[in-house]
Amino acid sequence: MMSPSAVTKRAAPVLACIGLLAVWQVASLALKNDSFPTAIEAIRAIPDILGDKESLINILASLRRMTIGFGIAVLVSIPLGLLMGRSRAVAAFFNPLLMVIYPVPKAALMPIVMLWLGVGDITKTLVIFLGVSLPVIYHSFEGAKAVEEKMLWSGAAMGLSPLQRLVRIVLPAALPEILTGCRTGLVLALITMITSEMIARQSGAGNILFNALDMGQYDTVYAMIIIVGAMGICLDAVFERVRARLVRWSEPQFDMPLSFS
Amino acid sequence: MRNWRLFGRFLAKLVPLMEDIRQTGCVTFAVSEARDGMKVVPSRSSEWVRPVTSQKPASAIIEIDRVSQVFQTSARREHLALSDISLTIEEGAFVSILGPSGCGKSTLLYIVGGFVSPTSGAVRMKGQTITGSGPDRGPVFQEFALFPWKTVLGNVMYGPRQQGVRANEAEAQSRALIEMVGLKGYENFYPKELSGGMKQRVALARTLAYHPEVLLMDEPFGALDAHTRTRLQNDLLNIWERDRKTVLFVTHSVDEAVFLSDKVVMMSKSPGRIREVIDIDLPRPRRRNELLLDPRYQKYVVDIERMFDESDEAGSLS
Repeated sequence: MMSPSAVTKRAAPVLACIGLLAVWQVASLALKNDSFPTAIEAIRAIPDILGDKESLINILASLRRMTIGFGIAVLVSIPLGLLMGRSRAVAAFFNPLLMVIYPVPKAALMPIVMLWLGVGDITKTLVIFLGVSLPVIYHSFEGAKAVEEKMLWSGAAMGLSPLQRLVRIVLPAALPEILTGCRTGLVLALITMITSEMIARQSGAGNILFNALDMGQYDTVYAMIIIVGAMGICLDAVFERVRARLVRWSEPQFDMPLSFS
Repeated sequence: MRNWRLFGRFLAKLVPLMEDIRQTGCVTFAVSEARDGMKVVPSRSSEWVRPVTSQKPASAIIEIDRVSQVFQTSARREHLALSDISLTIEEGAFVSILGPSGCGKSTLLYIVGGFVSPTSGAVRMKGQTITGSGPDRGPVFQEFALFPWKTVLGNVMYGPRQQGVRANEAEAQSRALIEMVGLKGYENFYPKELSGGMKQRVALARTLAYHPEVLLMDEPFGALDAHTRTRLQNDLLNIWERDRKTVLFVTHSVDEAVFLSDKVVMMSKSPGRIREVIDIDLPRPRRRNELLLDPRYQKYVVDIERMFDESDEAGSLS
């Protein structure tokens, strides 16, 4: 049996979604604008998109690029961030570089990258990679920096070499912080995925959305927005499951059921 | 006339200082060397500075040889944390380093551990100059420094596994150690689920697990409440009585130092120097309830506290 407060907690996100859709429905009916379909019309359009082979291939291609970009970014950024956190020399070298790249919207780099690498998968994956890297590097860096010196000394006394200490003490100790960075990175990957496809319109979920807009199929536009949003929520929920499992040992902390970052 | 006035000031300062030491174990006054020939020599020093009285010929395990440590506090300022420390620690001895906060006693321990390199001088372990840390010297820190992602068992097994002990063997040894420190039943708990005293028991077991020849304890009970502290002191003594490992124990508590040690090394601060080395000639095994009533124990405590007071007095008057 769940307590009443637990039921409320479970039901709250669902109620919020229903509330949003209801407001949408009412607003759309009131405005009677062709470019603003009702929520029910948009939701009805979803099976059409997901049933269409072409669209499905496009969406899967998007997800593939996102997965590759995210994966490579995580594999590169975590070691780099950890090294920066434990070595002042490495941090001094990379910090200025990252400071320059950080505030630049990664989509703004698209035109330049397209000139060099074309409008294909490589360009889009690279932009996703850039978008994900920075928060992961930053959080890995902060996490590694915060590792207690005495914990490393304890490891050193047991005979761990500097590299072993980095992999077997700094990495697990910084893991909660690293995964926070990865979670932000995941959401950014989804955002950059769509933006990259808006700019280099060739294939992908972003492309479907903009093609529909060009052709005035507004219910498809809104349906795509719902699909992208749902993908974000699912990815985040799965990641949060994994994260919670990996860092069960760390302090319990207040957490929103959904991420809106 | 002047002498009387001085004596009056001495008394006025003595009372709050005694309170200070009792409560916090540290001295809030800056200690500086007595100058102008005013060095205060405690009148009864001959009574407690005795020759070493152990029966078997003790062999030196750690030799600290003219160690100095300078810290760069800012671009141009340097702080002399340790000045010309020489000390020999005999095998199997329980030696406490006692001093006010900021006297460099922990730094000295870190140098012996090989975690910090001295600015000058050297430390030798069994004749070999220490250049880094190693499993022959096991630290126990005030901050516990447990691996939070490992369970109690995982923490204790970590050292033996690193040393190449087979998993089932390491587990059996670790379980025995966990029982010895009184944590049977908590093997699968994570550090965050334990109280401070329990964490320090795990830290002790974790260090004992890889069989260091010397235990380096850095104010290990400093973060614990008085009751837990007392219990851990008793337990540490019981564990120590079994195999009499060499222990270097840093503390700012006079009671703790006298209760546990064979030898108390008193340090003064700014710069950190050894003031006095006092042999604690009390029978072992020591039991708290007997010892607290023992006039010899009480005298050690009172004499050492007085020495700290007098050194402060000398510093502030000169």
